[in-house]
Amino acid sequence: MSKIVATRRAVLNAGLGLTVALAASGVISPAAAREKLVINSYGGAYEQIHRKLVIEPFSKKYDVDVQVITAYSADALAQLRAQKAAPQFDVIHFSGGQEVVAAREGLIAPIKPDELTTAKELYPFAIEGLSRGEGPVHAVAAIGLLYNKEKAKKPEKWADLWNAEYKDHIVLTDLSNSYGLLGFLMINKVKGGDITKADPGFDAVKTLLDSAVVVATSPEMQQNFAQNDAWIAPYAQDYAYTLRKAGLPIEFVQGAEGTPAVYLTANLVANRPNQDLAKKFIDFSLSAEVQAGWAQELRYSPTNKATKLDETVSKEVIYGPDAVAGLVRFDPVAVDANRAALVERWKKLIAK
Amino acid sequence: MSSSTDNGVVGTPTLPPQGVSTRVLGGIAEDATLSAPGVFLIVLAFILPIGQMLLLSIENAGGGLTSEHFTRFLGDSYYLGIVWRTLRLSLLITVIAAAIGFPLAYVMAHVGPRLRLWLIVLVILPLMTSVVVRTFGWMVLLGRGGLVPFTLWKLGFVNRNFTLMQTESAIVIGMVQVLLPFMTLSVLGVVMKIDRRLEEAARTMGASFLATLRTVVLPLAMPGIVAGSLLVFTLSVSSFITPSLLGGVRLPVVAGSIYEAATKTLEWNFAAAQSVILLIGVFLVLLPYLKLTGRRHG
Repeated sequence: MSKIVATRRAVLNAGLGLTVALAASGVISPAAAREKLVINSYGGAYEQIHRKLVIEPFSKKYDVDVQVITAYSADALAQLRAQKAAPQFDVIHFSGGQEVVAAREGLIAPIKPDELTTAKELYPFAIEGLSRGEGPVHAVAAIGLLYNKEKAKKPEKWADLWNAEYKDHIVLTDLSNSYGLLGFLMINKVKGGDITKADPGFDAVKTLLDSAVVVATSPEMQQNFAQNDAWIAPYAQDYAYTLRKAGLPIEFVQGAEGTPAVYLTANLVANRPNQDLAKKFIDFSLSAEVQAGWAQELRYSPTNKATKLDETVSKEVIYGPDAVAGLVRFDPVAVDANRAALVERWKKLIAK
Repeated sequence: MSSSTDNGVVGTPTLPPQGVSTRVLGGIAEDATLSAPGVFLIVLAFILPIGQMLLLSIENAGGGLTSEHFTRFLGDSYYLGIVWRTLRLSLLITVIAAAIGFPLAYVMAHVGPRLRLWLIVLVILPLMTSVVVRTFGWMVLLGRGGLVPFTLWKLGFVNRNFTLMQTESAIVIGMVQVLLPFMTLSVLGVVMKIDRRLEEAARTMGASFLATLRTVVLPLAMPGIVAGSLLVFTLSVSSFITPSLLGGVRLPVVAGSIYEAATKTLEWNFAAAQSVILLIGVFLVLLPYLKLTGRRHG
C-alpha cells in the first residue's frame, strides 16, 4: 500500500518536473496564456456568417481565442492609425480599398505568397496587392445590373440603362454609398471617362435623372423594387440575392463592358507579436471551403480557383476564369483622392 | 447674512469690513459658489463643444486659420439653394403648425376637463414614439399605393396612382406631424390662462365669435404662439432624419448636408462651418422676433 503511494508520488513529481521543464523551455505554455487573435468584422448578417464560417472553425482547429471587434472599413482604418504606436488588432478586414492607404502608411505588414498555403489556388488579382504590402482578397462583391425579370427585358450591357424601355423605372444610387460610387465609376468608364475625367459619367447620368429615382441605402433599393415599380438598377450581386430571399423577382446581370467589384481583403497588422497565427487565420479565410460558404450564404464571389460551388450558387456569383476575367478594378488610391470632389459634384447634379 | 456668507465661502480672503459693500461682495461670492457646479457643467457640455466647433470651422488642413470653408459654402449657389429650401420649408411648417395648433389648443381649452385630459394624451402620445418610427409610418402612407396617394387617386384629384415620396410636400406633411405637439402645448398653456370673462364681455358688446377670436383671444394668446413658433422653427431648421427619409437625397436640407460632410465625406471643417452658418442663420431669424414680442409680452 505505502509502496503504491510512494510510486504515485514519484510519478506525480516526475510529471510536475516534466511540466516545469517543458514550460521553461517554451514547448507548452500555461493554460491561462491561450493564444489570442483580435480581428474586426462588419457586423449584422455579415458578422454572423463570418463567425460561422471562419472565426469559430479556426478557433476550434488551432485552439485559440478569437476576439471580434465590429468596425467598418473606414472606422477600422481610423483605429489602426490611432493605435499606430501600440496596435490592438492582429487581422484587419477592409472592403473599401483602405488596404492601399494602410500599406502606404506602414500600418499593415506585407505577406509573402509562399507564406500562404492557399496562394497557388488564388486568382492572380487576389494576390496582386501582396507585392505592394496589402493583404489578399478573400471575397468579392460584384457590381452589375439588377433587373426585375417579370417586368423588364434582360439587359445585356451597361449602356442598356439608357434604353427607352426602362424609362421611369430606373434606380440610381447616391455616391455616398460605395456600391453607388463603383456603379457611377463604371458608367463613367462606359461613356469614355476615367477617374480624373468624370464629365462623360456626369453628362450620362444627367440624361437619366428625369426618369430615375435616386436612393442612398440598400433598404431604399428594396423598397423601390417592391413598391415603386423599379425595373433596373446598377447595384451589387449579393444584394440581388437578398432581394430574392425577400421574394422579389430580381436577377443580376454582369454588364458586357465589365464588372466593377468591391474587394474584401484580409490584412496582417504590423508590429504585433503573434503574426504567424494571424497569417494562419488569413490563410484559413482564403480556403476553398470557407469561400464556398460565403458564396452559399451571402453570394460573395470566391477568389480561390479551387472553390467548388453547386449549380444554383455558381450562377449567382462570379465563378470561373472567364467570369473573373471581366472584373474591373478602379485604382483605390485615385478613387480615394477624388472621392470628395466626385461626391460634391454628384450632389449638385442630382439636387432638384 | 454676512456671517453665513463667510461660512459658505471656503478659502476666500477676508472681506472688507464695512456694511453695504461687504454684503454686496458676499452676495456675489455666494452666487458664484452656488452656481459654480452648474457653470462648470454648462462650460463642459455646451461651451466647450461649441467652441471646438467654431475653431474647427476656421481651421485649414495645416492647422492655420482660414475662411475657405465659409467662402466655399456662401459662394456656391448649390449650398445657398439648400439654405433657401431649409428656411422656406421651416417657415411653411411653422405657419401650418400654428394654423392647426391654435384652433386645436383653443378647442382643448374650452372643453371639459376629462375630455381635455384625453385630448392632451392624444397630442402627447406621438411623442412617445421615435421620430424615425413615425417617419417610416409616413413613408408607408405617402408611398406609391399608400393611403394618401391612393385616396387622392380614387377621389379623382389626381390622374394616376402616384407617389408623394421624395417631394417637398412629403417633408412638410411629415414635419408638421412631428412638431405639432410642441406648438399645441405651447399655445394651450397660454390660452388656458386667458380669463373667460374677457371673451364673454366681447360677445356681450356685440362682437361675433370670429371677431372675439381675432381681437381678444389671438392677441392674448400671442406669447404662446410665438413660443410655439420658435420651438417649431428651430426644430425644423435643424432636423435631418425626417427630411432625408421623406425627401430623399435629391432634396437636401442644411442639417442633412452637415451630416453628409461629417460622416460620409469626412470633411469635418466644412461641416463645422455649415453648422456655424446654420446657427447664425437661426439667430438672425429669431432675434427680431424675440425682441418684438419680448417688449410687448415679456
